[in-house]
Order: sequence, then C-alpha cells, then structure tokens
Amino acid sequence: MARDGADFLLEMVGISKSFPGVRALDDVTLRVRPGKVHALMGENGAGKSTLMKCLFGIYREDSGDIVLKGRKIKFHSAKDALEAGVSMIHQELSNVPERSVSENIWLGREPLHRIGPVKLLNHRKMREDTAVLMSSLDMEIRPSERMGGLSISKQQACEIAKAVSYDASVVAMDEPSSSLTETETAHLFKIIRDLTAKGVAVIYISHRMSEIFQIADEVSIMRDGRMIGTYPIAEIDEDRLIKLMVGRDDTHRFPPVESTPGEKRLEVRGLSSANPRSFRDVSFELRRGEILGIGGLVGAQRTELVESIFGLRQLSSGEIFVDGRKVVIRSPRDAIAKGIALITEDRRGSGIFPLLSITVNTAIASLGSYLNPARFLEHRRIESESRKLNETLRTKTPSMSTLIQNLSGGNQQKVLVSRWLMTLPDILIMDEPTRGIDVGAKFEIYTIMADLAKNGKSIIMVSSEMPELIGMSHRVMVLCAGRHTGTLDKAEATQESIMRLATQFE
Amino acid sequence: MAAKTQAETPERKNGFRAFTSKNTNLVTFVTLAAALGLLTSGRSFEWPSIRNLMIAESVRAFAALGVGMIIITRGIDLSIGYVVCLVASVAASFAQTPDYGAALYPGKDFPIWLPLLAGIVTGGLFGLFNGVLIAFGKLPAFIATLGTMSIARGAQLIYTRAAVVGSLKDNYKSISQGALIGPIPNLAVYVAIACFLVWLLLRHTKRGTNFYAIGGNAMAARVSGINVEREIVVVYTYAGLLYGIAGCLLAGRLGLANALTANGMELDAIAAVTVGGISQTGGVGTMSGMLIGVLTLGIINYGMTYLGVDSYYQLLVKGFIIIAAVYFDMKKFARRA
Repeated sequence: MARDGADFLLEMVGISKSFPGVRALDDVTLRVRPGKVHALMGENGAGKSTLMKCLFGIYREDSGDIVLKGRKIKFHSAKDALEAGVSMIHQELSNVPERSVSENIWLGREPLHRIGPVKLLNHRKMREDTAVLMSSLDMEIRPSERMGGLSISKQQACEIAKAVSYDASVVAMDEPSSSLTETETAHLFKIIRDLTAKGVAVIYISHRMSEIFQIADEVSIMRDGRMIGTYPIAEIDEDRLIKLMVGRDDTHRFPPVESTPGEKRLEVRGLSSANPRSFRDVSFELRRGEILGIGGLVGAQRTELVESIFGLRQLSSGEIFVDGRKVVIRSPRDAIAKGIALITEDRRGSGIFPLLSITVNTAIASLGSYLNPARFLEHRRIESESRKLNETLRTKTPSMSTLIQNLSGGNQQKVLVSRWLMTLPDILIMDEPTRGIDVGAKFEIYTIMADLAKNGKSIIMVSSEMPELIGMSHRVMVLCAGRHTGTLDKAEATQESIMRLATQFE
Repeated sequence: MAAKTQAETPERKNGFRAFTSKNTNLVTFVTLAAALGLLTSGRSFEWPSIRNLMIAESVRAFAALGVGMIIITRGIDLSIGYVVCLVASVAASFAQTPDYGAALYPGKDFPIWLPLLAGIVTGGLFGLFNGVLIAFGKLPAFIATLGTMSIARGAQLIYTRAAVVGSLKDNYKSISQGALIGPIPNLAVYVAIACFLVWLLLRHTKRGTNFYAIGGNAMAARVSGINVEREIVVVYTYAGLLYGIAGCLLAGRLGLANALTANGMELDAIAAVTVGGISQTGGVGTMSGMLIGVLTLGIINYGMTYLGVDSYYQLLVKGFIIIAAVYFDMKKFARRA
C-alpha cells in the first residue's frame, strides 16, 4: 500500500498522550483518505475518544504531529478546528435546545447587520442560508423550528449540516447511531454517502459490527491506547476484528469464587424502560450465591437497567420477582425494603456524602433500624456496627469520624459496600465496582465479592472490564443497545464471545 | 484499624490549635466579645448589657434556626421577613385590648392561646407551601421563596389594611416581656428551648441526619432510600413554625405589629447562620454554630451602636460581613468540587 502523503487528507502521526498514572495514547498513527469512511474501533477505554479530542484541540497531545491536507496543524479550540474544516459530531448532542435550527447552525458566527457601531443579528440571512444548506443535503428541516422540538436523528442531521456549513473536509462521528432507530440510521448512512461523494473524509466511531461492514471503507483498531492496525474493510471479517479488539494478555488476578449458585432469588421478565431509547424486553434470573456479570459497550444501557430495577428510573413494562414473589419497586426505598442494594457507578455523583463522616456514610441507608423506643438514633450501636463492617472490609481510615472525602477511591468504595451491607441485603447490585481504584484495592473488592457470594448473597456486577467479568462471574449477561443479546456460562465466557454479543445489534 | 492514609492531619492536631481551627466561628465570637469588653471597659459584660443582647437577638435566633436547617439541606428562604411580619400582625390582631376602638376585631376578647395558635399555624402553612413548591413543584428555592415573600407581604397589607395593629393586651405582651425564671428574660428561655429541640433533631434523629445527607448529595440521598421530597417539605415546614413563633414573640415584645415589622429579617438570619459556619454548599453546620452566628452579629450591632456608628452605616457593614462570610465559606469548600 502506498503511504504517500498525497493520498491522505488527514494524518495523525505518532500521537502520544499521558494523564497522571495512565498512558492514554501511545504512539498512535491514523491516516484518513478523502471521500472514504474510516471506522475507528476498540473497547471502552481503548483511546478512541482521547485521540479525537487531541484532533479537536480539546486535549493537547504530548508528542506527535497532525497533518491536514499536507499542512501541519495545531488546534487550540473546537472553533479553530471547525474553521479549518474539521468537524465532530458528538455522541451527546451539544446544541441549544431552546433556540431555532438556524440560530444553532450559525451560533458564534451569526451574519450581522451593521448600522454604524451597532451590530444586529441578520435573522433573515440566517434562515435563508439554512434553507439552502438543508436542501443541498436533502434534509427536510425547517430553519425556524425549535431545536429541542426535533427528534434526536433530526438534531443530529442539523449537527451534520452545521459541519457541512463550515465546509468541513473531515467529519468525525462518535457513535452517531447509538440513539437512532433503524430507519434513522439508514438516513444517516445516506447523508454520510453524500458527504463522501463530495470528497469529505468521515471518521466513524461505532461499536456496532454490522454498521461497520455496511458503511466503512477502512477500519482502524485501537486497544489499550495503541493502534493495532488499519485494514481495508474487504480484507477483514468480524472474527478477526473482534480478536484484534480484545487480544490482550490477562494481567488481572482474581480470587477464587467458590460459591455454587442455589435457588432462584431474583427474576426479571420482559423489563422495558419508560425511556424508549433505553433497554427493551430484558429478562434474566439471579440465584443465591451467584455473581452475575452484565457486560456491554458504552450505550448498552446496563446502568439504566440496574437503576430501573432499583427504582431510580421508570419502567414501562415487565415484572420483577424476588424469592418467587412479584414485587413493585417505585423508589430506592421500596428496593431496599425488598433486600436489594445498589452501589452506583458514579461514586462522587450518587455515592458518597463527601463532607460527612465514615460512620454517617456507612449508616445512612439503615438508620431506621437503629432507633431507640423514643425514635432517637442509637449512636453507640450505629458507630460500632459501622466500625465492624469497615473493619471486616479493611477500610483504611484514621478514624470513623474522618470525612469520607479524605479517603482514597478504593476505601470510599469499601465504605459504600459497608453502607449497603448494613441494610442486610440479599441482592447486591454493583455498577462498575472497581472503576477508578488502584489494582490492590480492586483485588480486595473482588475478594469481598467472592466472600459475599459464599455467604449466600446474590451479586449483579455491571462492568466494562472484560477480564473482570470473566474472572468474577458465574454467568455473563451481555447487552447491546438496550437488548439482551445473550448470556454466557463461565465456560463459554471469553473476551471474544462477550465482544461478539456486545456488538451484535439486532 | 490500620491508620495509614493521607487523612491523618486533621485528627492528629491536638489541643488548643485543633480546637480553634475547627471552631473558627466560636473564636471569632469570643474575640469580638473580648474586644467589645475592652472598648466598653467591661460594661458589655455587665448583666444589663447581656440581658439587652438576649432580648434583641432572641426573635432573630428563631428565624436563624429555621433558615439554618434549610441551608443545611442546601436550600434557601427569602420569605422570612414578611412571613414573620404577617404572623406578628395575625397574632397581634387576636391579642388587642377589647376596648381599643381601632382594633381589627373591636370588642372581641379572644383567649390568650388564640393569637399564638393563629400565628404559629400561619407560619407553618407558609413553610409548608414553600416546601411543596420546592420539593414537588421543582421550583428553585430562591424563586419559590421570593414568590411567597411577596404573597406574605400582600397578605399582611390586606389583612391589616396597612394599619398598625397596636394596643396589645398586657397578658399577651408579658409572654415576651416577662421574666419567669429569676432575672432571665422569657425570650431567652424560649430560645434555649428551641435550640435544644433543634439540636436534638439535627444530632439525634434520623430526620436530622437525612437533612445533612440531602444537603451533602441529594442524589446519593435518594439512592440511600431517603424520601428527599418529603424531607424537604418537612424542613421548610419546621422553619415556618419557627418563624411563626418568632412572629408571635415579636408582636408581644413590640406591643404592636405593622408593615415594617421584621423587614429584612431574612438577611439578618442568613447572615447570622453563614457567619456561624452553616455552609451554602449544604450538608454542613450545627445548632451551636447558628446560635454563635446570631450572637456574633448581635455584638457587632451592639458594638457599632455603642461606638455611635450611624444606623445607615450599620447596614452597610452588615452587607460586607455577609459577603465576607460567604466568600470565606466558599473558599473553604471550593476544593470539594
């Protein structure tokens, strides 16, 4: 293959980027041709988003060069990038929902009437230019419509129109189809083909295998911050792609999980979210002493599923059975009363009370069980029970009155586990239980999980780390785009088999 | 337990320095009190001065306890001044001497408990209304209480026809003005009881702990099974009841109520609790802090009056004190984010 610079519209050569403690990108090279769709694939945390953020000047790379149309460039902001013809369609839409379509498209570069020193917005020109833009892209969107009133796919189309209006030569799309229906995705693909026909290069980030083979001309695979390889789509198949995405040495260590699953404890039938873009028709069961892993890629709706079971989000249909009895859970309080506990994914956002002590942080969900006959708190019992739990889990803290914000992430996580064990749950749901904690603390959390399972607790573990899913779970259930695509036994669960289910849209 | 983390320092400091760094509000108060003592050559430590301070600050203390609890849940209440004003007017209207020609209910001699009940219920209802708007209507507390502030003001003017509600019965006035326990003014006794109850609530009940949890991290509180909406309604209602008591006592102390009664009390109360270490970031603060804050502002007022500072300038100084207190509070907790 000729690696002649003239062939490429955009080259990112030897890009490295480190964050404190992590090497996010290690000598990554990506070359994109004009008029082609270049798919970028990799597991969660492989470095795709970091690479794109370096391209757009959101992050500054530590080393490496970015070359656009043969010229070395360095963007300092998203505005620089846009003006140089490099656009990004984000996974989360970043528009101003209360303003009109035309105002959104010309945001920050509105055409102006100048009357002496006074500058006024030229609304008519904005609307006319928008109408021309939309018809050139074959999009049926009225310029005066309120952005927030449009469907997600139309909002996305507006983002693309905005990119085109900047005369973009490179458009990067980060999981653009994650919230689209099939028809909407088909329309998106039509827009992409129109763009490439005009010579635009499209960088397409997606987890959905079928889409890649449908739309991409080339595919680059990233893993652990490194570029694994770039292949013409015709020269690669799904199996090979999956192998390249996951093929990593298993360096993690796990304690033995010795429990044997017993009788059925939790059963979920046909659960659908009240949010139509979230999960649909999910069924599974969880046994006594079992660790059930839930795997999937970003956008698989795993957190939404477990938070809905816990009563934090609304369901539209489906039934939940605990110990064979049908239960209705409308709030976390209901869930706790049924013996369910949830350690959320976002430790700071919905876990800890930073300015409260370890004792209060531990006891907050079970205070009702520690009242004397006059309904006052039994401080001594609360303190001793919190201390006992934290000692069992080996939380490292100078004292029980230390503020939790002064502990390390791993120790905060142990306090949260203590909090939920204090409610005496039968079912413990742990969403990304080892996110952001160091290797030693991870092993301790795994040990705690194995011990809990041995003592008859049932655990649901949502995780984005495949080795963790494989190492700790009796069974791994995989979601893709809100659908339950399969459940693997311990013997069947490999990185390849999980990745296959996680990318199996439909 | 193995004591081996980065968090050692705060607990390690012992003795006097640790105590002062943990209780800056108390240190400020003692320093100011001592300074005032020097300035007045000891006269501010004499009983009449202390007694005056107690009487002057007692009504404000009720308002501060109420809004202090609200701020712990990360809320705010701007309606205090006019709610207290309305309550004072309602209470006064049922406590006027029957032979007073300009009374709202001329010739009627109501039992002594009626003005108290009417006043406290009025305060409680306003608090409940605030709480429902904020918890279930999802209105920002700032806006909701700004609205009820105007409602209370309008209601007071309509109810009193903008007139002074005066000539209160002696037995009603003596509730506030009397001294049943030795030389200690009744007002100080009521404040002590209220402080005890608030302390009990915040320190020794599940509900009090829930207030701190909601203020510290409302989402985590919900996940932990706390009924966040209900607790918010409750905290505003409790505060309303405290404003109700404040209004009843204020009417008794002044012997009248009019449209200017208690104006600006929200500012005094919020300033006091902020000086007392109740952080606007929520989830932080104690009853004793609220009380110390009230007394600190009290001696600042007293001191300025003693030094002959014009009352207009006193307002100015108070404004700067609030800004400074919040500024240091924000600096202290900024690292959290």
